[in-house]
Amino acid sequence: MTRPLEPLRLDRRQLLKLGLGAGVAGLLPLGSLQASTLSTTARVVILGGGAAGMAMANRLSRRLDGARISLVEPREIHHYQPGWTLVASGVWKPEKTMRPNARFVPGGVDWVRQPAAGIDASNRRVKLGDGSSLDYDYLVVATGLQLNYHLIDGMSPELVGTHGIGSVYASIDGATRTREAIDAWIAQGSGKGLFTAAPTPVKCAGAPLKMTFTTLSRLEATGHRDDYQVEFLAPAAGLFSQPWVNDFVKQRFDDQGVTRRHHYRLSAIDPGGRQAEFTFVGPDSEFTSHHELREAEFSQEGERTVIADYDFIHVVPPMSAPDFVKASDLIAQDGPFRGEWLDVDIHTLQHNRYPEVFGIGDVIGAPINKTAASVKAQAPVVEANLLAQIQNQPLRARHNGYTSCPMITGIGKAMLVEFGYDNNLDFLPSFPFIDPRDESWVAWTMKDRMLQPAYYAVLEGQA
Amino acid sequence: MTIQGVLTILMYALAPFLWLIVVGVSLLAAIQLVARLRGYKALYYRCLGANLAALSVGLSGLWWIPFFTHSRLAYVATTFDWVALVGAMFGLTIAAWLVLHPLSYLLRGNRKQLPTTKLKLS
Repeated sequence: MTRPLEPLRLDRRQLLKLGLGAGVAGLLPLGSLQASTLSTTARVVILGGGAAGMAMANRLSRRLDGARISLVEPREIHHYQPGWTLVASGVWKPEKTMRPNARFVPGGVDWVRQPAAGIDASNRRVKLGDGSSLDYDYLVVATGLQLNYHLIDGMSPELVGTHGIGSVYASIDGATRTREAIDAWIAQGSGKGLFTAAPTPVKCAGAPLKMTFTTLSRLEATGHRDDYQVEFLAPAAGLFSQPWVNDFVKQRFDDQGVTRRHHYRLSAIDPGGRQAEFTFVGPDSEFTSHHELREAEFSQEGERTVIADYDFIHVVPPMSAPDFVKASDLIAQDGPFRGEWLDVDIHTLQHNRYPEVFGIGDVIGAPINKTAASVKAQAPVVEANLLAQIQNQPLRARHNGYTSCPMITGIGKAMLVEFGYDNNLDFLPSFPFIDPRDESWVAWTMKDRMLQPAYYAVLEGQA
Repeated sequence: MTIQGVLTILMYALAPFLWLIVVGVSLLAAIQLVARLRGYKALYYRCLGANLAALSVGLSGLWWIPFFTHSRLAYVATTFDWVALVGAMFGLTIAAWLVLHPLSYLLRGNRKQLPTTKLKLS
């Protein structure tokens, strides 16, 4: 005879304990419960101490027991680069974006305060700026990218802040001087502002658009918006890789009186004369990460050019992997990223020809993904796959291309745009209650208040 | 995300305002403590002025909460924006009430305190 089940009776205290326990369990991902250390004497070299490199240093130092991990990073200061658009827009003070690197470098990791100068992939060796070298068994390339201002005739990062030139990408000083240049233009009371995009993949692809939108906010706040001309010149038909956002931005530019000129790239600048030369690159040069624009093509003769006067110009330089990566055998040999970006499998993030090498962050050849949010998604993949590689196991972790851009559409509002590789770069919203198509105060507040803390958690390998 | 990750994010987010949080919580705790030592009981003391003042502080959040985030009320647009803002205002009202209500008791004495014994009898 079976006894009927008695109803479960819980007093209030038991109920609270149960609820608390369930809450805690819900916050713990399965992976964190299963995370264990791997004993190895492998030599792991991480090139670069930016978001990607620092996140990997923290993650690998926790997971690898006995490994000799070296972090190659010459800079003492860590810059929160996603905050530079807010600095250049006058919303943040520059100091807010800086922290000492020492705060994030984990114990047990050898911090090599030297710039990397070369990679000898065949001999598994990294050459350093002081002439010394580091041998490795496993290499994580997290160098970030290089700003190629020199591909615009007459342009150099030192010009930012002078002659009406701004460029949020240049540096934190450059972002500050960009704000000053915009201030000066606004104080002038009228004039023409040119905003440009680059003919290459760029980090934070939304930044050129954000700078335009925040400047429009400031111009509208003067009450004399009509006294200012604003033009946006882009090398291709598109302005942003995510199709819905691309259409939205175009429409919004039209609504806000921004003149769009497509298929033009900034080819030269005359700071003294406040003139910029734009070269018509033709409708075949789409602004996607799959472009095949080569450096040689930047100086073709016989191209159609136009000269534009300006009172303010926002310069977005062409970008590529750093020269020493480009000079190594790790660079893509063919395909859309050849000669310019690191040759990795965009899902496993393992090098396509050197299995002991992984890439993460801005340096990799991927159609999207040059954001700190991408690093957040990539770091656990590289961690898992590097550990699998050390153990000669198949690489199971895959990156879905997740990237995020809090698209600032005005000072005080933004859209939390998150998307990935699949379904034509379809949205991948993290929060079901935040629609990526909506301009919202909460999305702005996340950008203004919460994403920087989340970024530092990523650096510490906690997110 | 791990609990440690959540705590790390919170730590970095709150760090710039830690002094303000400490001052605010200390003030709240001190006023509550002193008032209770002098016989204050939240449910038995009535003060319309303190209630209205707390409500005003909460409502003032309509202006300064967006301002605090370098934004403005006009950009509070989506349903979730409003849920978040109203939630913040509600929290602000409660915090203000927890300070202003016992403070009023301390400033005015216990003239408006309902007799506990009478309440118990009823």
